[in-house]
Amino acid sequence: MVTKEEVKHLSWLSRFDLSDEELSKYTAQIEQIISYLDKLDSMPLENVEPVKAKKNLADLRNDQATNFAGEVLGTKYRKDGFVKAPRMV
Amino acid sequence: MQTKIGLEIHCQLTGLKSKLFCSCGTDYRGKEPNSNVCPTCLGLPGTLPLLNKKAVEFASMISLALDCRVPEEIMFYRKNYFYPDLPKNFQLTQYNAYGITSIGVDGSLQYGDDKVARIRRVQLEEDPGRVVYESGSMEKSLYALVDYNRAGIPLVEIVTEPDFSDPKDVRLFLNKITSIVEHLGVCDTKLEGSVRCDVNVSVQGGLRVEIKNVGSFSEAEKAVRYEIARQKTMVSRNIEVKAETRHWDDARKITKESRSKEEEQDYRYFPEPDIPAITLGKDFVLSLKPSMPELPDARKERFISALGLSPHVAQVLIENKELADFFELTIKLYNSPKEVANWIVTDLISFVDEKDREGGNLLAGLKVGPEHIAELARMVEQNTVNRTMAKQILGQVVRTGEMPSVVARKSQATRIADSSVIADAVEAVFKAEQSAVADARQNPNAANFLLGKVMQLTKGRADPKTALELINKKLRETT
Amino acid sequence: MQSLYRLGVAEVVQGVTSREFSAEEYIHQLLERIERVEPKINAFITVSKSSIDQARIIDRKIRDGEKVGPLAGVVVAIKDNICTKGMRTTCASKMLDDYVPPYDATVVDRLQQAGAIVIGKTNMDEFGMGSTTEFSRHGATRNPWDINKVPGGSSGGSAASVAALECTVSLGSDTGGSVRCPASFCSVVGFKPTYGLVSRYGLVSYANSLEQIGPLGKTVSDVASVMNVIAGFDEKDNTTAAGRPSYSVDKRPLRVGLVKEFVEGADEQVSKIISNSLDVFAKVGCQCEETSVASVQYALPSYYTIATAEASSNLARYDNIRYGFDMNPEGYEWNTYFSKARSNFGEEVKRRIITGSYVLSSGYYGKYYLKAQQARSILIRDLKSLFKKYDVLVGPTMPILPFNMGEKVDNPLTMYLVDVDTVVANLTGIPAISVPAGFARNGMPVGLQIMADAFCEQTLIDAASMFETEAKVQRSPEL
Ligand SMILES: [Zn+2]
Repeated sequence: MVTKEEVKHLSWLSRFDLSDEELSKYTAQIEQIISYLDKLDSMPLENVEPVKAKKNLADLRNDQATNFAGEVLGTKYRKDGFVKAPRMV
Repeated sequence: MQTKIGLEIHCQLTGLKSKLFCSCGTDYRGKEPNSNVCPTCLGLPGTLPLLNKKAVEFASMISLALDCRVPEEIMFYRKNYFYPDLPKNFQLTQYNAYGITSIGVDGSLQYGDDKVARIRRVQLEEDPGRVVYESGSMEKSLYALVDYNRAGIPLVEIVTEPDFSDPKDVRLFLNKITSIVEHLGVCDTKLEGSVRCDVNVSVQGGLRVEIKNVGSFSEAEKAVRYEIARQKTMVSRNIEVKAETRHWDDARKITKESRSKEEEQDYRYFPEPDIPAITLGKDFVLSLKPSMPELPDARKERFISALGLSPHVAQVLIENKELADFFELTIKLYNSPKEVANWIVTDLISFVDEKDREGGNLLAGLKVGPEHIAELARMVEQNTVNRTMAKQILGQVVRTGEMPSVVARKSQATRIADSSVIADAVEAVFKAEQSAVADARQNPNAANFLLGKVMQLTKGRADPKTALELINKKLRETT
Repeated sequence: MQSLYRLGVAEVVQGVTSREFSAEEYIHQLLERIERVEPKINAFITVSKSSIDQARIIDRKIRDGEKVGPLAGVVVAIKDNICTKGMRTTCASKMLDDYVPPYDATVVDRLQQAGAIVIGKTNMDEFGMGSTTEFSRHGATRNPWDINKVPGGSSGGSAASVAALECTVSLGSDTGGSVRCPASFCSVVGFKPTYGLVSRYGLVSYANSLEQIGPLGKTVSDVASVMNVIAGFDEKDNTTAAGRPSYSVDKRPLRVGLVKEFVEGADEQVSKIISNSLDVFAKVGCQCEETSVASVQYALPSYYTIATAEASSNLARYDNIRYGFDMNPEGYEWNTYFSKARSNFGEEVKRRIITGSYVLSSGYYGKYYLKAQQARSILIRDLKSLFKKYDVLVGPTMPILPFNMGEKVDNPLTMYLVDVDTVVANLTGIPAISVPAGFARNGMPVGLQIMADAFCEQTLIDAASMFETEAKVQRSPEL
C-alpha cells in the first residue's frame, strides 16, 4: 500500500512541488504501478547473483590532467566567474 | 559519564594530477572560479565518469596503512541528495550495506603511546564544489555564489568506530593520520581544506550527534570539546539530546542546528551503473605493498634501532613527516644522529610559534635548513662553541637564515682556546676582585664567581674549562 | 528531377562520391521534404540550416579528390537526447529548453568523421520516458501511416523521419524498446545493439544500465552501414567492450525459435502476421520451431524497477543552476527554487522519478531493486541456454497495433504494458532488431522482432536481411 504521506516525502526528496490534487493522483497511479512491480515477489530466487558489469583495474584511466577547451556553463546568471545560486537558508 | 566520539576524516588526494572521474587538474586552489571544470565534473547531461586508476591505488595504500582489509572487487554507489554545490545532485562514493565493496574495511590504528582506535571503513569519493557569499554573510545576500573547481577532487574518507572519549586523543589520532598520509605522499595536509573531519559525539543519556563542516584537524578537537560540554549541560538539565546533524560554525566556534537536508535514511544508495565493478584481483595487495613508502611506525623503529635515538625523540620526529625528513637530511650532512635529533626535537621546536604548531606547519616560519643544524651540531661536538652559546646562535639563525658559523663570528663568540689570552683575563680579574679571591681561598665553590667574571671579561668566548683550571692554579699559587 | 530523398545509404554514397548528384542537391531535397511534411508529422525539434554547409564541405572534398568517409553525403537525424556540439539538445523537456552542449556525443563525432551530415534533432518522449512520443514539450509526433495514430516511442521522431523520407537514416536510443517500438509502428528497421557495443558518451541518461544508441533506417543494410561507423570501444565510456566490429550482409540457414509467450500475449492480427513470418524463414532454408522462456514474465516489473530507479537519480541534476531554462535564482531559498524549477518536468517524468525514489527507499531496496537485478541474471541465464539451440529468437516487436493518439496517456500502467516484448533485450543486454513484417487490415504496420545472443550482431543482421528480402514488405507511406 502506497500512502499519500510516502508520496509526499518522496516528492520532497525529488524536489517536486505538488498540489494536494496532484499528490492524490500520483498516489493512486504509483500504488497501481508498485502493485505491478510486486510481481517480482513471486519470482523463484534460487540464490542468484544480481547482474553486474566488471572491469579490471589496469583498464582504468591513467592519472593525467588536461584542460577542457570551451565554455561549459550554460547559465547567464554569473558573477565574477561564479555561478549564482539560490541562498542556502 | 561515558562519552563516545567517532570520526569521519576526509583527505583530498592532492598527490594525484587529475580529478577522480575526469581529467581536470587537482590543483584548483587560487584559480579563477569555474575555470577548473569540464562537462563531466559539472555533471552535464550525457557525460560519464572515468575512474582514475591511481586514485584507487592511493586509497588502497591508505587502507593498508590503517591495517584494513582490501577486497578483491570494489564498487561505487550513488548517494542521492540535493545541494547546489553538488553538480549531479548525487555524490559518487562507496557503500557497504549490500556486500563489502569499499576500498578498505575493518582496520585499526595505534596512536599516542599505546592507544588503538578501530577503523570501520575507508572509501573513495568525490569532493563537491564550494558555496560562498559575496558579502561574506548569507543573511545579507540575495544569492549564493558557487565555484565548481573543487567538484570531483578525489577524497578518501576514513571512518572510525566510536573509540574515543577524550578530545585530546582525537587530536593525537588525527596527528597520526596526518603523518601517515604525508608519508604515503598522497595528501599534502598543509594545503587549505585538504584535510577535514566530521565528528560524532554522544554522552551518557543522549543520542548520537553528527557535526559536519569541521574545516581542519585542529578545529576538530575544539568542536568535540564544545559539543561534549553542550550535551553534558543538556543532560544535566534533563533536556533530551536528539540524534541530529549539526554544523560547526568556524567563526563563532560553536555547533549549530542544520536543517533542510536529507538524512542518512533518505540517501537511496544504489550502485553507479556507469562504473563497472572494478576487479583488483588476488595479487593486488601483494604487489602494492612493496611499492609503498615507509610508514611512520617503521620509520620510528629504524630511528631507534639503526640510529640509536630514544623512543621519545623518535616519536616526536615521526609525528611530523617534515620534521623527520629534516632530520634525515641533516644527518646526511653531519652524521651524528643523537646530537642532531636533540637539536631538532628540543631546541628547534621551541622556536615554532603556537599558530604554526596548531597547523602542523612546524618549519614554515623558521629560516632554517638542514645545513644550519648540521653545522651547529658539528660546532658543539667539536667544542667550537658551548651549548649555551649554540642555543643563542640558533635563536638568531632561525630569524635571519645566516649560517651558525657566520653568526658566531659576528658576535665574536668563537671560543678562546689560547690559554695565554685566558691567563691575561684571569690576572686582570684577580687584581680587580681581591676580596672575592680571598673568599675563594677559603671556599672552593666561590671560584665560580671568579669564572663568571672571566667569562664576562672575555665576552663569553673563553673556554670555561681552561679558565677554571687557570683560576684554581692561581689560587693555589698565591696561597 | 529524380526523387533523391527516397534513396538508401549505399545509393546516396555512390551518387555523391561519383558526383552523379551533389550532397548539396540531396540535402536541399530533404530540407524541402521536411518543410512539406513536417506540419503533418512533427518529427523534428530542431532542423539544422548549417547542414547545407556540411554538405558543401563534402562536395568540395570530393571535387578536390580528398578522402571522404564511408557515409559521405548520408543525412542523419539525431534523437534530441544525443548531444550535438553547438546544437540545442532538449530531450523534449522544458528543463533543457536552452541547453546547448559544449561537446559532441561519440556517435555524432564518428558519423561526422565518416562524412555523414546531421540534419537536425528529432522529437521524443521527454527524456525517453514513454512509448508514444506524446510526452514532448514540442507536441506529439504523428505516425506517417495515419496521422491520428501514435508513431511509437520514445524515439518516435527518429522513426517517423525515416518513414516520412526526411533523412537517409536516424539515430534513436533504446532503453526498453524505444528504437524498436517506433520502428515497428512506422514500418522501418530499428536496431538495438548489444549493451556496451555502442558508446553512450553524449547520450543523456535515462536508465544507464539498460540503454543503447541504435540506428533506424529503411533497410537492414542501411542500419548495418551506420553500425559499422558507430559501433566499437570508446575510451570515454567505461561500459563499452573492446574492439571495432564490421558487419556485412550474408545469407545462410539459421535456427529460428519463435517465443511462445510473445505471440500468445499479442493482438490477434499481430500474432497471425508474426506466425506467418516463420514461413518466410523456412522458405530460405531456416529451421523454425516454437520455444518458450518462462522467466520473461518477470521482465517488465524488473525493467520498470531498474529504469525508474536509475532515472530518479539521473534526473536529479536538472536543478536549473548550471544550465537549463531562464529562471533567475536571486532572492530564492534553495529548496524552493529547486522545487519550482523542477515542477517544469512533464507529468510522466515526475511519475517515474517518484516511483524510482520509492523502489530505492531504505527498506525497499532488497524488495525491488536487488530483486530486479536478480531477475536480470535469471533472464540472462535462460536466454543463454536457448541461444545454444537457436541462432535467433523471434516474436512481435509490439504486442498491439499502433493506437490512437491520446488513447493511453491517462493510464500509465497500460502504457507500460506495451513494452512487454522489447524490455527483455535491454535487461539481458542482447541485440535485437525490428523489421517490417506486414500490415494489419487497417493498414497499420506490424514489426518482427529478432533477437540474437550478446555481440552476435552479424547473425542478427543476416537473419533480418534474409527476412527483409524474402518478405518484401518495405514501402513508404503516401504523404
Ligand atoms: Zn572535470
